[in-house]
Amino acid sequence: MSDSPVDADEVQHVADLARVDLDDADADEFAAQFADILDYFAALDEVPEVDSDPELVNVMRADEVEEGLSQDEALQNAPETEDGFFKGPSVS
Amino acid sequence: MTAQAVQTDEHAVVIGLEVHVQLETATKIFCGCSTAADDDEEPNSRTCPVCLGLPGALPVLNEGAVEAAVKIGKALSADIPERTTFHRKNYYYPDLPKNFQLTQYDAPICQEGELEISVEGDRREIGITRAHLEEDPGSLQHKGGSIDTAEATLINYNRAGTPLVEIVTEPDFRSPAETRAFLAKLEEVLEYLGVFDATRDGSLRVDANISLVDADEVDEEGAIDDSVLEDANRTEVKNISSHKAAEKALAYEVSRQKNAVKRGRALKTETRHWDESRGITVSMRSKESEADYRYFREADLPPLEVADWKDKIDIPELPDARRERFVADYGLDSEAASKLTSTKEVADFFEAVAEQFDPNVAATWVADNLLGELNYRDMLITDIEGRLDEFSRLIELVENDELTVKNAEEVVLRSMLDDGDDPETIIDREGLGKADDDAIADFVVEAIDENPDAVDDYHSGEDGALNFLVGQVMQKSGGSADPGSVNQLLREELDA
Repeated sequence: MSDSPVDADEVQHVADLARVDLDDADADEFAAQFADILDYFAALDEVPEVDSDPELVNVMRADEVEEGLSQDEALQNAPETEDGFFKGPSVS
Repeated sequence: MTAQAVQTDEHAVVIGLEVHVQLETATKIFCGCSTAADDDEEPNSRTCPVCLGLPGALPVLNEGAVEAAVKIGKALSADIPERTTFHRKNYYYPDLPKNFQLTQYDAPICQEGELEISVEGDRREIGITRAHLEEDPGSLQHKGGSIDTAEATLINYNRAGTPLVEIVTEPDFRSPAETRAFLAKLEEVLEYLGVFDATRDGSLRVDANISLVDADEVDEEGAIDDSVLEDANRTEVKNISSHKAAEKALAYEVSRQKNAVKRGRALKTETRHWDESRGITVSMRSKESEADYRYFREADLPPLEVADWKDKIDIPELPDARRERFVADYGLDSEAASKLTSTKEVADFFEAVAEQFDPNVAATWVADNLLGELNYRDMLITDIEGRLDEFSRLIELVENDELTVKNAEEVVLRSMLDDGDDPETIIDREGLGKADDDAIADFVVEAIDENPDAVDDYHSGEDGALNFLVGQVMQKSGGSADPGSVNQLLREELDA
């Protein structure tokens, strides 16, 4: 594991940033999986170069109002709501 | 004195600002949802898959927001680079439903500008490091307590996606008063550009970086070596919501830091929260470091190449230039010129009036009478939009001697603002038309006949008698007579 590009501490740090609670065993397991995933990307180094499409620039829309979602529609997938608000756990 | 630091004891104050400005576009920055927030609107009533961060939704940049940013860049004498790009700033907090904020990182739309301010007569140039476009987060309510003790979070995404420009200054401020002057000036410029509405709640929000350095490190021009600034421990103060609050929050923070140093405590680099109601800053849980935001290019937003827009987009004459022109072209004193250029709408209104009347008459009416009465009523010039013609007719009535100045100012103008009536209606209702000469001559004779004692007093040289008789005539005329000519008519009659 020592030569792995991602160690358990780094996994734990990223999990903390995403407010995900991992125990040490989880962190070790994910570290190993990350190493495998990064290895898969090495395959891209073998892909021959091809001509790429020209890059788009200045893709914009006019400043005109379009109809969006109703409050009911906006909230319909929310696990919890209250008085038209999305409701979640307290945060600080 | 140019840029002398506020040097108390042996420390100098160094401040830099990050100013978040909501742009006055019709729609959000990456979707077509309206930005028009009604006071009593329902939560989550202005959203769509893009600003709710629903899977598969794609952002498309609002051209109006880009135009506004280019205007701001021009007004701040900033560079608009050939190419600018958007990044994702990743953080996990429910005010952004995507778990990242769309912003700009290493290629912002405006770079290296400046804004000149004047503080107690000293002119100071404040460097603008950059200004970039980004999306405003949604708003949170902490239910059942403060942020620390709440039992739940209620989330409203109506604000999410409102276009923001974040303007970052160099650490060029040497006192809290300078930051207030800068923010007031910035607001004025943004309003002139028509890209910002200061009356909207939360439309301008400020974070400030503040540190103390040895006063010896500040040279005569107020400059400080970069290495000294890098070594200084810096406090970031967040949650400042106006230019007045900026001065208060920073004054508090300066004295807090000085007291800490005085007691021998080391200052640490930290983020503090300005608590407006308590008037103090409080330490916040340490925030993520820059690397933790894992910035990366937003692949859904192609780069912008809008450097040439700087030439294509016109901006209006800015307040400083207009002030100078008012002094030069209309012969106004600088105080009147400042009042009359305080907002673009006031300046436009004045110039429209000045086209019809002598500029000095127009200046007195607009700067002294109108702005005074509006201010007293907590009204703005925009509240009388479309009533320029009524206001001109009022001035014309006075200029043509059909209404006394006193009645025009104290009765007609006030009623125009309070009741919304036009001047002619008010004059009819109050019977204020200047009385004709015959009527006044009759009142003079009546007053003399009815007050023989006063007439005797006048002839025996008593000073007050004439004033008393003038008062009687004025009363009979309902205030519509001109006191000067009444005085003269009375003398003629009494001395005959």
